[in-house]
Amino acid sequence: MTTERQTPPDVRRVSEFLQTFCVVMLAGGAQTLRVERNARRIGMACGMAVELAMFSRHIMLTVSDGASGESCTAVRSLPAGGPNFTRVQALNALGWRMVNERLPLEEAWQEMEHILALPSVPPLRLCLLVACANAAFCRLFDGDAVAMLLVFVATLIGFSVRQALSRMGMNLKIVYLFAAFCASLVASCGVVWQLGTTPQTALGVSVLFLIPGIPLINAVQDILDGHVLMGIARAVQAGMLIAAIALGLSLTMLLAGGAGI
Amino acid sequence: MSHLLLLAGQVVADGLFAVVACIGFALISNASRPVCLVAGLLAGLGHATRFVLLHLGMGIASSSLCAATLVSLCSMLCARRRHTPAEFYAFPALLPMIPGMYAYRTILATMQFLSAAEPAAREALLVEIAYNALTTCCVMGALVIGAIVPLFALHEESPLVRWRRRDAGTDGGKARQD
Repeated sequence: MTTERQTPPDVRRVSEFLQTFCVVMLAGGAQTLRVERNARRIGMACGMAVELAMFSRHIMLTVSDGASGESCTAVRSLPAGGPNFTRVQALNALGWRMVNERLPLEEAWQEMEHILALPSVPPLRLCLLVACANAAFCRLFDGDAVAMLLVFVATLIGFSVRQALSRMGMNLKIVYLFAAFCASLVASCGVVWQLGTTPQTALGVSVLFLIPGIPLINAVQDILDGHVLMGIARAVQAGMLIAAIALGLSLTMLLAGGAGI
Repeated sequence: MSHLLLLAGQVVADGLFAVVACIGFALISNASRPVCLVAGLLAGLGHATRFVLLHLGMGIASSSLCAATLVSLCSMLCARRRHTPAEFYAFPALLPMIPGMYAYRTILATMQFLSAAEPAAREALLVEIAYNALTTCCVMGALVIGAIVPLFALHEESPLVRWRRRDAGTDGGKARQD
């Protein structure tokens, strides 16, 4: 198949493309198995064999051309950043286009740069939607209207704190601790002044928008897939974030009367 | 009759709140608009199913397992039409079913346990800690397993699917691609 091409792609060029492709997908919260499959598929479309080792902060990638015997090995570290479904989805589709439509590598590069530049949801709108979501979540745990309102305000404040602190580039655990503390502090007003009939529910739900649900699910799937190391690494990372949330919540409880709550 | 109508209303309300919750939580992970919409609908379906099962007296872990399996199967139907893998719809749809309240009660009871003085109170709190922590873990496991097993079993390269396809004749390029 590669003989049909006028200019077969260079091993180094394919490797560079795949490095960026894989680290963006992994950092964006793709399952390890999916990244591996995509990389092999793209390699095959370019007529090359790909071997890939993935760790929680780095990847190791070897691309080899069977015909010329050339090969290229590279180690690349993962960029920072939370789950980004839009990117993972778009890159996954791009991988398939390279296989099915024989999209040339240079065009795929441009496409990938375009995908990386895609804007995310505007912060203000995101904040409002997350607050609505958490208020609805409160209702699912049988919270009354007062509790829903408390959770709405608490989430607005907690999520803005999270956005502001992560923009400053602070450590993610510290960000989660402060966000959980601020959100639960607002919601604890309901417990202190006995607002509504379910202030306890409001306090509990107010920090739940922070729970890293997608990383947790990915971790279990990685372990079931056989990528046990990656799965455990992801589970530990998510577990530490949950510990940070619990710490923020317990700070509020100490302030608001600890065991009295 | 009115009792049934009331129950139906509760089920619909439960589903609708789950839709709102799912869309907001999916947006935190920067999901695209079509993914948000489909995942939201699936979340509503899943949560309403779990509500009905809980109402029928099933345990929370087993009803979560059933709801997650249903969500996963429906997500595969949606994924067949579009060029998107099924997990992208199924996983955000599980978010409203994550047992956050049980996790919160575990932390609360742990804090109370540490500051409790009387042995009787400590014993009661210990039971509460164990119950809530175990429920959290079981529901979380049930959700993920319920969602993943259909994805693995009916995956493109799985023997079940290949076998069925051989029977049905060649599917050519129409195969599910994820």
